[in-house]
Amino acid sequence: MKDGLNFVMGVNLVVWFGIAFYLFILDRKIKKLEDSTYNKR
Amino acid sequence: MIVRALLTTWMAVIIIAAFLYAEAAQGFPGETSRILFFHVPQAWIATLAFLISMIASVLYLAKRNVKADYIAQSAAELGFLFCVLATVTGSIFAKATWGSFWNWDPRQTSIVILLMIYGAYFALRSAVPDTERKRVFAAAYSILAFAAVPFLVFVVPRITSSLHPENTMNPASPGMDPKTLKVFLGSLFAYTGLFVWMLRLKIRILTLEGWRVRDLFR
Repeated sequence: MKDGLNFVMGVNLVVWFGIAFYLFILDRKIKKLEDSTYNKR
Repeated sequence: MIVRALLTTWMAVIIIAAFLYAEAAQGFPGETSRILFFHVPQAWIATLAFLISMIASVLYLAKRNVKADYIAQSAAELGFLFCVLATVTGSIFAKATWGSFWNWDPRQTSIVILLMIYGAYFALRSAVPDTERKRVFAAAYSILAFAAVPFLVFVVPRITSSLHPENTMNPASPGMDPKTLKVFLGSLFAYTGLFVWMLRLKIRILTLEGWRVRDLFR
């Protein structure tokens, strides 16, 4: 039971870090677009 | 950046605590109660998101501020997403506890109706070509749609008999284990932070799209 629990916890952590990484990358891309948009104005 | 890094770390801590620190609740088969550290915050955040969408819609109709429309749309989308997540995690719990993923339990049925109501919101936004009219119709619909939320989320499951557990994972219940309560509240905080992060990103994307469209017509 404990091994199963550790496996599920591991999967959850991998999924969470994947989501967080994606959000960080998205944040940076939006920031670059915002900077170039506001510079044009 | 630091706040987002802290949120990332906090959520990871909560995931570990949910499996290694908190005790499995009594009255549930095996370790199935642990899913409620994720399922309940998802449902709460969906309700919060729909509430924010409704408030932003009221502000849009009152002041015709475009940013209010961006907030309403973004919040509705995230509310829909968290509602889907709550439905999925609830179904996993149902399979483990009641033997099948779907039982047409009042809570399960009411959340599906909620998904359909907000699915119609997005269909409405897509169907109206004129931007100004689309915003007005969507705002009016969002206000009316939220009228169903308290009824479907809080009233229907309580006036009908349901398999859905009520008191065991209720933080207000005096019987809740202190470790469970800490992890539960920590999870609620982490999910709220995640929602705010995603909401801000979505609003910034819509704002950029708005600038781009305006620049095309200059």
